[in-house]
Amino acid sequence: MSPQPIYLDHAATTPVRPEVLEAMTPYFGARFGNPSSTHRWGREARAALDEARERVARCLGAAPDEVCFTSGGTEGDNLAVLGGWRALRAKGRRAVVTSPIEHKAVLQSVHQAAKEGAEERILQVDRSGAVSLEDARARIGAGDLALTSVMWVNNETGVIQPIEELAQLTKAAGGLFHTDAVQAFGKVEVDARTVPFDFVAVSGHKLGAPKGIGAFYIRRGTPLEPLFFGGSQDRGRRPGTENVAYAVGLARAMELALAERAAHWTALEALRDRLEAALLARVPDALINGRGARRAPHILNVSVPGTDSESLLMALDLQGVAASSGSACQSGSITPSHVLSAMGVRADLASAAIRMSLGSLTTPADIDRVAELFPALILKARGLAGVA
Amino acid sequence: MTRRVLVAMSGGVDSSVAAALLVREGYDVVGVTMKLFHDGGDVPDRPCCSLDSVNDARRVAEHLGIPHYVLNLQDRFGHDVVADFVAEYAAGRTPIPCVRCNTFTKFRDLLAKADAIDAAFIATGHYARIADGRLRRGVDEGKDQTYFLWGIDRAVLARMLLPVGAMTKAETRAVARELGLLTAEKPESQEICFVPDGDYVKVLERELPPGAPALAPGPIVTTDGRVVGTHDGFARYTVGQRRGLPGGSAEPMFVVALRPDDRAVVIGPREALLGRGLVAREANWLVPVPPAVGEAVQVRIRHRAAPVPGTVVRRERDEVEVALDEPVHAISPGQSVVFYDGDTVLGGGVIAASRRVLPLHAA
Repeated sequence: MSPQPIYLDHAATTPVRPEVLEAMTPYFGARFGNPSSTHRWGREARAALDEARERVARCLGAAPDEVCFTSGGTEGDNLAVLGGWRALRAKGRRAVVTSPIEHKAVLQSVHQAAKEGAEERILQVDRSGAVSLEDARARIGAGDLALTSVMWVNNETGVIQPIEELAQLTKAAGGLFHTDAVQAFGKVEVDARTVPFDFVAVSGHKLGAPKGIGAFYIRRGTPLEPLFFGGSQDRGRRPGTENVAYAVGLARAMELALAERAAHWTALEALRDRLEAALLARVPDALINGRGARRAPHILNVSVPGTDSESLLMALDLQGVAASSGSACQSGSITPSHVLSAMGVRADLASAAIRMSLGSLTTPADIDRVAELFPALILKARGLAGVA
Repeated sequence: MTRRVLVAMSGGVDSSVAAALLVREGYDVVGVTMKLFHDGGDVPDRPCCSLDSVNDARRVAEHLGIPHYVLNLQDRFGHDVVADFVAEYAAGRTPIPCVRCNTFTKFRDLLAKADAIDAAFIATGHYARIADGRLRRGVDEGKDQTYFLWGIDRAVLARMLLPVGAMTKAETRAVARELGLLTAEKPESQEICFVPDGDYVKVLERELPPGAPALAPGPIVTTDGRVVGTHDGFARYTVGQRRGLPGGSAEPMFVVALRPDDRAVVIGPREALLGRGLVAREANWLVPVPPAVGEAVQVRIRHRAAPVPGTVVRRERDEVEVALDEPVHAISPGQSVVFYDGDTVLGGGVIAASRRVLPLHAA
């Protein structure tokens, strides 16, 4: 008899919500048209797409022409960083500023920009995992700024970054500001009317929409070079026949996430705090990464001295508990987290980090069972430390 | 409660079949693939570490319906195996990294991972057997891998499962085909996993500092002290090697020793390669009572060589010295010596020196 599995990896992905699936279903069937077609099938699809775009725009405090649909967070980050940099390069701006705790989609795009001639400026983060504003003032203000890209909520620690201040600093320096809001949307307020960002990337599958759809915000009038060529869809910013069904699904998922945001935050925060307290009570030397900072409520990152993430994740999985660590390479092997390293977390603690991320599937009973399991797993994993 | 076993799956046919047989026997099988080094790109057809190998192992695990994980053991493997490999060549010896990988990586570090997941056993695709708490040669004489397993902690034997050791390679492939495993026809790999294209010098060139003596020019001298040429690094030579030596001698010449002190490669005729005994260090015993001084043992000095009879003449701390009944060619420092009693592995060590004449204190 195997116990009920417990999914604590909502920051990796979430199941498609029934409401979303229901909203999408007609577009896999009778309403299959291509929105670029001029006949009734096309018009029907166009109407659905237009409406989805309006709804997504409303969710972001934006106008419909400021929203395009992408394949997800990675594409949005690439489009913002490379598209923004290439557009500003044409105006003679060279510097691209980012943080060392970004998702690889941003970091690798910034490295690509550097290969194309950009000057890479990496911001410092403090020990709690937040970007240092003092350092940001210096680096953003150092002149020649093309673009700043800083994530809103860190995907490993949940730490909320000072996006409003960073956006303002960037605008004052004449640069473009992008934020990867993949872990932020539905948790913090992402509103183009209150924060002067130029680009925002949102991913559908973190919100109960399918994998393979994302929303990308471009403030009206912002220069941007497209990454793809070949059609006039999305004003040429993102050519290719639109995925109508997924766009409709994303709109529904974003609306639901926004409507439930406050209640969701409160519920997740209570569960996260319960888990954190329970783990600390049972394993007193456990360290919560990012604890000193303002955190989104769905992520708990814990390092237990003398353990390693690999062993713990295997042991948890074999007990039916899904969690994750910093980052996995393509082969699936775990490498120490670049995020925790940038925060100054000791190497042995960084390679012991476990991320548990809560969401719609999480119940108080789940939390209690994980907290109960944890100490025994820690004991066994600690057997390893002796071989170091 | 079913017994859990952690299987090291390299993506090759032997470990695939090992996993499959354990599933068939009703074990709670957990598959893992170790990532042991980073070679920049992903080299296809490497036994352990390429993306292709990981993918093959994962596909087999999916086919068998067992969980599969990739474990990153690069740091420890780099320290215990690769660094030692380089240091041994730099010291004029010819190491066998697979021995240390078994001793430290598979049957110590991986065993610790097994502990973390409550696995009572650890399994591999080695051609060797465990019976009555002893390590025994694999049924397939041509495939027997006990030569590489002498260094493991004796206490681990009780936790080892070696399912293919009871079969021939042909039978292993037949089982793989019968089970529809995608690795059934995968070619054999005899190479050292972290040595690209079998060119170990490339690894030394990468790992040793520029101008390291092992890769710097030195003299080629004969056993009677004549300098007959120069070489561009003694680490490029191994004892017993004939290729690449200066000609002009009446009889074929072989490398008989490497002398790091004066960077010399010592060459001599075939009979200069003959050894009548050897001294081994890091001796490890896989039986409760190691052979006593004066006891007869079977001695194997290279993989797949037929063991030869010999006698233990000295055994103290982790050193052991044996006399051989018949002279043997090319006893190479750095290689392993493994002692057998019939099929049973008694233990082994790393060859420190060859003895040209019978030790005086032989019993």
